[in-house]
Amino acid sequence: MSATPGPTAPSPDPSTSASQDAQPIVDAVDRLVLEYLRNRGYKLPEGLPTAVDGASPNDKGKAPEVSPGQAISSEELIKRLAVFSQRPANPNENAYTNASNVVQDLGSSGTSLSIQNLIANLGNIGAEEILSLDPTDKTEGFRELQAWVDGSLDMYRPEFRPMLFPVFVHFYLDLIQSGYKEAAVKFFSEFSPSLTPAHNNILHHLSTLLLPAHVQNDDLAQRFQNEKYTIRMSRSGFDLLIGWLTEGIGGEGMGTGDGFSGEKGKRGRSAVMRVVNNHLKFDVTASSATAVSPTAWEENTGLLSSLIPRANGATSTATGAQAFNSAQGELKLGQVPMPEELRAEVERELRQKAAIENDHNGIQYDVHYLRAQQVPGLVTPSESDLLPHPPTFKTIDVVREAEKIRDWRKKIRLEAAALKDLEENSPQAAATRARALPSVCCYTIHDVPEGVPCCTFSQDLTLMAAGFAESYIRLWSLRDEGLKGMKSDFSLNKIRDKSSLERVRETTGPLSRKLIGHSGPVYSLSFDPMSGSVSPPRHLLSSSADATVRLWSLDTMTNLVAYRGHQNPVWDVQWSPTGIYFATASRDRTARLWSTDRANALRIYAGHLSDVDAVRFHPNSLYLATASSDWTVRLWDVQRGNTVRVFIGHQGIVSTLAFSPDGRYLASAGEDHAINLWDLGSGRRIKKMTGHTASIYSLAWSAESSTLVSGGADWTVRCWDVKGSGGLPGKRENGMVNGTGALKSREEESIETTDLIATFPTKRTPIIDVQFTPRNLCVVAGPYLSP
Amino acid sequence: MSKPKPRAPPTQLTGVYKPDSIRDVAESLGITNVSEAVASALASDVEYRIHQVVEEASRFMRHARRTTMTTSDIDQAMRVLNIEPLYGHSSYNPPTFRRAPPFPQLPQSGTVYFVEDEEIDFERVIREEKLTLPKPVSWHAHWLAVEGVQPRIPENPPAIPRETDADPTVKLENGVISTLLPPTPSSPGRHSAVRKPQQQLVKQVLSRELQLYYARLTSSLIPSKPEEFDREKKTAALATLRHDAGLQPLLPYLVQWVGEGVVGALKEGATREEDGRVLEVILDVTAALLDNQSMLIEPYLHQILPPVLSILLNSTLPPSHATHLRTLASQILSRILTTHSTTYPSLSPRIMKALLLALISPGKSKGAREGAVRGLIAIGKEAVRKGLVEGGGARIVGSEYGSDERSEPVIAVMDAFRTLHEPSSEPVPLTDEEVPSRLREVVGDFFAEKLQGDAAWARGVVGLPAAET
Repeated sequence: MSATPGPTAPSPDPSTSASQDAQPIVDAVDRLVLEYLRNRGYKLPEGLPTAVDGASPNDKGKAPEVSPGQAISSEELIKRLAVFSQRPANPNENAYTNASNVVQDLGSSGTSLSIQNLIANLGNIGAEEILSLDPTDKTEGFRELQAWVDGSLDMYRPEFRPMLFPVFVHFYLDLIQSGYKEAAVKFFSEFSPSLTPAHNNILHHLSTLLLPAHVQNDDLAQRFQNEKYTIRMSRSGFDLLIGWLTEGIGGEGMGTGDGFSGEKGKRGRSAVMRVVNNHLKFDVTASSATAVSPTAWEENTGLLSSLIPRANGATSTATGAQAFNSAQGELKLGQVPMPEELRAEVERELRQKAAIENDHNGIQYDVHYLRAQQVPGLVTPSESDLLPHPPTFKTIDVVREAEKIRDWRKKIRLEAAALKDLEENSPQAAATRARALPSVCCYTIHDVPEGVPCCTFSQDLTLMAAGFAESYIRLWSLRDEGLKGMKSDFSLNKIRDKSSLERVRETTGPLSRKLIGHSGPVYSLSFDPMSGSVSPPRHLLSSSADATVRLWSLDTMTNLVAYRGHQNPVWDVQWSPTGIYFATASRDRTARLWSTDRANALRIYAGHLSDVDAVRFHPNSLYLATASSDWTVRLWDVQRGNTVRVFIGHQGIVSTLAFSPDGRYLASAGEDHAINLWDLGSGRRIKKMTGHTASIYSLAWSAESSTLVSGGADWTVRCWDVKGSGGLPGKRENGMVNGTGALKSREEESIETTDLIATFPTKRTPIIDVQFTPRNLCVVAGPYLSP
Repeated sequence: MSKPKPRAPPTQLTGVYKPDSIRDVAESLGITNVSEAVASALASDVEYRIHQVVEEASRFMRHARRTTMTTSDIDQAMRVLNIEPLYGHSSYNPPTFRRAPPFPQLPQSGTVYFVEDEEIDFERVIREEKLTLPKPVSWHAHWLAVEGVQPRIPENPPAIPRETDADPTVKLENGVISTLLPPTPSSPGRHSAVRKPQQQLVKQVLSRELQLYYARLTSSLIPSKPEEFDREKKTAALATLRHDAGLQPLLPYLVQWVGEGVVGALKEGATREEDGRVLEVILDVTAALLDNQSMLIEPYLHQILPPVLSILLNSTLPPSHATHLRTLASQILSRILTTHSTTYPSLSPRIMKALLLALISPGKSKGAREGAVRGLIAIGKEAVRKGLVEGGGARIVGSEYGSDERSEPVIAVMDAFRTLHEPSSEPVPLTDEEVPSRLREVVGDFFAEKLQGDAAWARGVVGLPAAET
């Protein structure tokens, strides 16, 4: 819904008759040339140095402090006024686009011009328009708005603050687009510091836009111009805003002056009003201002309309991420039940193993767990929901599933919740901490001054692979067994069975091997999950800046397939939990689903507005989560290819994701140094966990889904209590924020929330990969940066 | 590269690329008449394009998991933006920019940065046939945390309250005490012997005052020439160690110094008078450190204990100081145990074990035996009972040194017996049959004889209740 237009809003209908007088036939060639220039984004006024503070004569009396010395030549004034004579009622478009055109028109028609003539042509509306473009109005209007927001009651201030940013952006873009470059720069330098803490990235980007052409070609600026910026506000807050905009008094803080008295103030207010009317969308909630949590604005503020996909081609877009998510219906987040025959086989396998180890209690537990392997409260998908897979199972499947169950029993139990009511110095403290916190083994990679883009471990911890900027992959054996490939000199005819194949295998192998094939930095690696934690994986997937994904055989140590399809660097690749399929994320703004036996993608998941930076499969492989540079996370239905959840709330690029093993939650983290925890079922954010002081590169869940471990560029590994309530220490219990919310928000980013249970610093090692083994040992990896 | 800090708010973002630069470029291309308007418009545009490339390059930087942008990122960015990459800039030898001060004739031009153009002497390059291959990439695994506790190993950074890690390789170097952290060892097996000292030299700077203090302190405690020794100076030095706050950063160095001093003194047999004095000073220093209330000594206990035990149990000490030194060491031991055994429950059993070994195992010297007994006295009554009576320590000492009533071990054992039970003022000889045989059994013939004269004492030593009289 939009604000009601105030009395000073421009009246809609231009005096068309007047403008048409000044539109004779033009030389066709001239028109073509101008058209071309316009398309290329070149405009006349930016070359005019006097355009900056060029106040029109009408203005001089009212704003003498602006630039009394700077008069403009009558010619230019004509040029500028001429614009309005033609299209006076469209403040959003670049008025100057047509300036030259009109002058050309006028000139070619041979009419002698005078300012009086033009002004007469303009009429009332035109004059108002000219005034609306006066840069000082914007400064004045924004100052007034800021003063009003800061002077408002504490309970409303957090609601009003988010409004400053879009108004600021639109004023800045308008100034740039009108060619007032220096005024825009001045405006920016005056007001940006107060907004910097929360919006540094966007502000920096905006500051690079200096010419109208940039505004028209820049994606972000275009989004600001074409989409509505959503702001959530309570009913009473919204009423106050309307009151202030229309009358200039409502909700005025004491001592903030008499608001918009005087002509100048009025025009400033009308400038604010214009932005509010044209570019803002208010999501008015019934809840009172105090009931909203301090970080809630992150989820409901911004250029949301394009981030939220249109539901099934319906005409009306959902009003918010929340509405969209709830419209998508329930998700099947439970585990897929094991086929009956496979379960029988697994049970037999388990009993056999138990008999060998003479472990009677264990087998009881295992069998019980095998039979009741469902997380309560989640919808269980049926076999038919899954991606197609071979109808029969192999021995490896049985062994893997059996080992999975044994791992579950034998794992280290981590009970993060036990830490909650722990007294620091009580005698049990040490023991409880030991039970709650994981053991972390750090693999430091040495002698790579360039850094390592990616690194991963196989589930059974026998192999480690790292991708390098120099286009190769290095594979290490973590046990002292050589990595054996095949001999290169053998004839295929001689190989008939397994034993003859074994004969051509190398007898010894080095502990480390290079896999060469890519032609660009390798950004992601993934070991195939088929063998689980039983035996070493047999395949490896890698993605690279050369836009290919490659499948490597770890039997032969060679490249098997290159999957081409993406047009741009592929940032991430991930096997589906059951093998066979894999997903990729690319700079070309899509994620794709592939099958290892096909050269083309099976599905393309398009919808993100910027790079897709990471992709992860849901544990039951029905869903796919993607993290993007457009600051959102999406959940896709793998088969149907549509978005089923949108998660909005990150204040920066999202670079990594992790599903909880129980399938309920998704954790995401990125450049905003915060980890967000999402409930998949409802699509809501559960909490935001802060404490990292630099980008977060990797996340991992413990097997019980109770502890989250993160690693990042700040050279630390941190453990988080997922079930804890979180929140900032000490204050802010009920959302009553005192003082300058937005100003403080960035500082608060680095304040550790109470659910941070441990921080393990490393020596100059950014942690690029964090993983949990099936038995809950945490392994992390990173390159050592020599100082 | 420094640890990423929260970004400072941008101050002057726009106008990095000046219109003047446009004019310079134009002139270099032979265009001289660039108007102000054109130049400023072009400058804005160039700046925008640069930012576009940089923004794109930052994605590549981020995905390469780096926090510094390299030329390869720019190359990649240009490639995806369909611009021809700039050739000739590899990230392996990044160009070093030099700064030239403003030209005096042209002050408005400001500071000039330029890339240093190194002169290569072909003669020399050709003559040198050495090709240095870069080291291959290797890995090393260590425990970052064990059940939530970060082990204090060289691979992990020192704990958060920045204590300088007590490292064996501390040296004074150009006024900066630098700690050579042992290189994080490479992967097991093949690379284990590789050290990279030049890369891992981490300098931890001590303030100048503390360095000066350290130098003065050590020189006044143990001057390089023995004749310079000044008792008053020493007393003053010990007093500051005992009472001054703010010496915590020096603690690892002092502990180190203590350890080295003891090793130095004991290495040469420690028979000279001089060594005895050094050891005494060292023990005084240790005691002073333990006394200092503002010092957190606990993390260094494992380093303090070996020197103290060495003095206590060393076989040869200068004869004039021996008893005094051993008594002093045992007092320190007792101090450590009373204050820290609550936090380190395993401390006293471990020391106990070491002492018992010195007391009972055959072939130990006289000094070691005496030291062990004194140590047991320091630990307490229970330890004495366990070592001398139940462990048979007294029997061994008695059989070895019983011939000499005045030998130190014997005196020490008698002292120990006194801690077990006060000798009565009016000794009554043992009368009954059972106690003497028992006495003989546990403390040996020699000491049984000595104790026989005092029935109450003997009973106390053996652990029998006082005779009912």
